[in-house]
Amino acid sequence: MSWLTYSSLLSMMALGVTLLYRTTKVANFAHASLVTSGAYVVYSIVVVLHPNPYVGAPIAFVIVGGLGLLLFYGVLEPMRRRHSPTVMLMVATLAFDIVLFGVLNIIADDLASSYFVPSRNILLSASDFTFMGQPGIFFVAIGILSLCSVVLYILLNFTTLGIALRASMENSSLAQAIGVNVSMMLGISWFAAGGLAGVSGALLPLWTQVNPNTGTVLLASIFCASIVGGLDEIYGAVLGGFLLGFVDVVGTSLLASSIGSWIAFYEPAVPLVVLCATLILAPKGLAGFLARRKK
Amino acid sequence: MTLDQVILFTVDLLALFSVYLIINLGLNLQQGVTGIPNFGLVLAVAGGAYITASLSTRLAIYLLNVHTDLDPIVNNVSVLQLVNPILRSSPWLSIGLLVLFLVIGGASGALMGLISSAPAVRLREDYLAITLLAFGEILNVVGNGYDPLVGGPPGTSLPDIFGWAGQYRFYWATLIMLLVAVIIFVYVERLVRTPFGRVLRAIRDNENTARSLGKDITRYRMSSILIGSILCGIAGALWALYSGAVTPSYDRFDYTFLPWLMILLGGMGSNIGTVVGTLVFVTLDELIDYFKYAFAPFLPFDVVWLNYLLLGLLTIIILIYRPEGIVREKWTRVPPAPPPVGEAKPG
Repeated sequence: MSWLTYSSLLSMMALGVTLLYRTTKVANFAHASLVTSGAYVVYSIVVVLHPNPYVGAPIAFVIVGGLGLLLFYGVLEPMRRRHSPTVMLMVATLAFDIVLFGVLNIIADDLASSYFVPSRNILLSASDFTFMGQPGIFFVAIGILSLCSVVLYILLNFTTLGIALRASMENSSLAQAIGVNVSMMLGISWFAAGGLAGVSGALLPLWTQVNPNTGTVLLASIFCASIVGGLDEIYGAVLGGFLLGFVDVVGTSLLASSIGSWIAFYEPAVPLVVLCATLILAPKGLAGFLARRKK
Repeated sequence: MTLDQVILFTVDLLALFSVYLIINLGLNLQQGVTGIPNFGLVLAVAGGAYITASLSTRLAIYLLNVHTDLDPIVNNVSVLQLVNPILRSSPWLSIGLLVLFLVIGGASGALMGLISSAPAVRLREDYLAITLLAFGEILNVVGNGYDPLVGGPPGTSLPDIFGWAGQYRFYWATLIMLLVAVIIFVYVERLVRTPFGRVLRAIRDNENTARSLGKDITRYRMSSILIGSILCGIAGALWALYSGAVTPSYDRFDYTFLPWLMILLGGMGSNIGTVVGTLVFVTLDELIDYFKYAFAPFLPFDVVWLNYLLLGLLTIIILIYRPEGIVREKWTRVPPAPPPVGEAKPG
């Protein structure tokens, strides 16, 4: 069942990537490091104040959401105002990722030297609760993913803010012309995406070990989930996350038991194989594939 | 710094400069000239380094007629003890092997470029960018898991093809690398002035116009990726041969991010800009490296992370305040088209 936990977390991360792609047309290469930041926010809180790790999740939402805002208003918005091409915006997110990587390592070193705790390979699953024979993270991850999806759905479909957001996604210059503050809309989506990354990062150490370089490893999986789901449809990210999580966890263990355990070494290649298959067979992703079937 | 230190510093700097110049010219051809955002550069570099490392000892045994039952990767050190004395005694044989290894490196780079771009080369540039980035570090997974490639995590050594230079090994190695870099610079500089190069720039500036003139966009983009990846592969092989050993740890920071930073700094699309950007960056980086331990007492954190903060911020500042870099791309002069036959002259 643990694949459901992983899939939920992956879906939350991919949701952020797809949201940003839809609104800003940027593939956010710093997204996985934002996830890691969420994990370190929670770990710092746990180390200093010793609360239950779940208490840190909302705080991670706000702080990492703030990092998203910093990246948008501090770096991308000034570039956008100078009409930088999209590729350059992506390079900027890559540069932000590098800075964040340095900062995370500094924080990790600091935690280790000031509080005498291990700050690499952090794992919080020991302080998790158990419910019906399953670790708590299993329910919390699925619960938070459902909550986020429902809130996002209501926000986008039934509120004025959501309509303004969607208008800026569909045609930003037209939205600007009828008085939508597009820059603020983008800012909101960067906060939301950062927040999603922060929460998923906050829950990550309850499921697996986290390092400052976890982001580098996760990045490929997150982008694969986004593309497999379909970059043109926000909810595709959830589909993609679940498909990829299933193939990654269940598929690899099936292969390992039938072919040999050596195959487990190549687990990081799984998302790439899925990605290639998607790009060749259904380049619009699962969501695009389903939409075409409906027509 | 004493004179010896200055010389050592300069030689070190030139070696790094040559390798990065080759990689950056490859990236500039793809991103600057053709507009292909290759965020997976590290794959071609690692491909060139790992595959060359994997084949070099085996080929050396075979070509030099060394008879041994030892495995060239598992018993790497003992095998190289048989191979290196032969190479040390004959410079020309070494140079011949060097050329062969560079060809292998280039071919491996090309293979990696083709594999990683094939699924997405027909799609929009952002899909291609994401796919290339995702593929970037896959070879490290293989390198760590499959020992015959580079001997797993501890890595493997390569035959010392610069051994004939004795105590001047690093000087000669640097000179040869610089020579290769200069040859490649001349090649790329000529290439962008050919009709082929102009088509690449036309694709970058307006894909639809190029297509409407009957150019096969996919084929040209593939060629650009192919040439760029060959250059990266050659650079990877050169670096592996220069440093004498390879571990499966070529990462996105060193071989994707830094080349992007350098061509941004120099000015995208211009080969001269690439040279300037590489030289400025490598000098800066080596100086930071040399002096950073002097700053260490004043920093509240471990000095190894300083590079990440400084280089990331530098990139962001360039992107916001001077996106065109140091050297602006020059428009190439194209001879004016002959007047159409039969058209009335003005006036």
